[in-house]
Amino acid sequence: MTVWDILSNYYPAFLTGLSVTLKLCLIIWGSGLLIGSALALAGIKCPRSVGLPSRGFSFFLGGVPLIVFLFWLHYPVQAMFDVVIDPFYTAAFTLSVVNLFAVADIVRGALHDFPKQYLIAARVTGLTRGQTIFKIQLPLILREILPPLLLLQVAMLHTSLFASLISVEEIFRVAQRINAQIYRPVEIYTALGVFFLAVCLPINGFALWLKSRFTRNLSEQ
Amino acid sequence: MLSARNIHKSYQDRVILNGVDVDIAPGQISCVIGPSGTGKTTLLRVLCQLEKEDAGEILVDGEQNTAPWPKVTAVFQSLFLWPHLTLRENIMLPARNHNPQADKDIEGLIKLFEMNHFIDHYPNQSSIGQRQRVALARALILNPKYVLLDEITSALDVEQTARILTKLTHLKERGIGVFLITHHLGFAKRAADQIIFMSDGKVTEQGPPAILQTPTTERLKQFMSLAEIGA
Ligand SMILES: Nc1ncnc2c1ncn2[C@@H]1O[C@H](COP(=O)(O)OP(=O)(O)O)[C@@H](O)[C@H]1O
Ligand SMILES: [Mg+2]
Repeated sequence: MTVWDILSNYYPAFLTGLSVTLKLCLIIWGSGLLIGSALALAGIKCPRSVGLPSRGFSFFLGGVPLIVFLFWLHYPVQAMFDVVIDPFYTAAFTLSVVNLFAVADIVRGALHDFPKQYLIAARVTGLTRGQTIFKIQLPLILREILPPLLLLQVAMLHTSLFASLISVEEIFRVAQRINAQIYRPVEIYTALGVFFLAVCLPINGFALWLKSRFTRNLSEQ
Repeated sequence: MLSARNIHKSYQDRVILNGVDVDIAPGQISCVIGPSGTGKTTLLRVLCQLEKEDAGEILVDGEQNTAPWPKVTAVFQSLFLWPHLTLRENIMLPARNHNPQADKDIEGLIKLFEMNHFIDHYPNQSSIGQRQRVALARALILNPKYVLLDEITSALDVEQTARILTKLTHLKERGIGVFLITHHLGFAKRAADQIIFMSDGKVTEQGPPAILQTPTTERLKQFMSLAEIGA
């Protein structure tokens, strides 16, 4: 049985798995990027009430393996409150939390280290507030955070496979189930690997290209 | 007249400016000299209201004007060009707000500062001398009334320095008041209308360039004799 045979026999299952993975990632990426950026901005505006606690929590998260966090929210927490939550949402929530704090760290760093002299130049040359934000701050900060954010989102896509461990029917779990039926690990996992390479490498490559392109324009002599 | 009246400024417990009075007249060059660490840059920052004075007041043409930019504008030692914009865009972005003839005026400035061959480069592709001229052009195209310049030639060689400083005398004709922090005493002697000598957070001596030849205070005497050795 070749890879093509497997795909042509089982493609409906693969497509379903893929769509679950995609949905999961859209939630993780969307909420992580939006809430994470908002959290970073709020943290800069209110360093005491938002910035410090969120940095503290981010530091704490960095000490907990993702799987432990995922399982903890899946079993003990739900048992404690006597609720049963669809594992898809548990996974989406857990990974979104991890992503949003990682995003917040990146955005906060860029905001915090933003060179003040560019704002001083904007003031003494009489730029408006809107121009300062949209023509100076935003473009410079985007150039700095876009590459690491892209790399992080690819890493989150990889991490989303952990959802299979709490029985979310995403692409990895589908692959495992099909493998259990036909026992073709070499073909199945190679196909899966090639698929992820095809999706992730272009994004990573794009991130590296952006980084080299922008640092060429921004680096001091 | 851009005036500072009895300015006091401290950082934490350290007094940096201790009762400073200066007047910068339109169409005149006021050269500020003095040892480093005596608060010259701090005075400049207070004068263009990037920094709030602890006591005293800043008057722009007799008024307490809270955001006087770009009527009062400044060029700093490290220039602060925006790195993601070409040199031309660095000049044009603020110019479009304040100068309806910016498109025409930039051509004049490109000629004046001989920027033709590099104006479309990015800041990090240009030499420090080129960036210097751009920073100055970015300020001048705004038709400011007062231009505050902080050691803008300190990273340039003798020839480039002379070129830039010569251009400053053109500004007098345009009625611009120039506040120039510099250690080029030769230029100060020749071109300044007013010398402001600062030491230890105060204006120790102030007057026409002649005060450099015949200082009345010990502090300026000492500074001048040391400056001779350095020059
Ligand atoms: N933002 C600041 N915070 C604390 N100290 C400062 C700050 N800016 C300047 N100073 C101190 O003020 C003193 C005067 O600085 P400055 O005005 O730059 O002097 P000058 O330009 O005459 O060399 C220096 O000793 C410097 O360390
Ligand atoms: Mg200084």
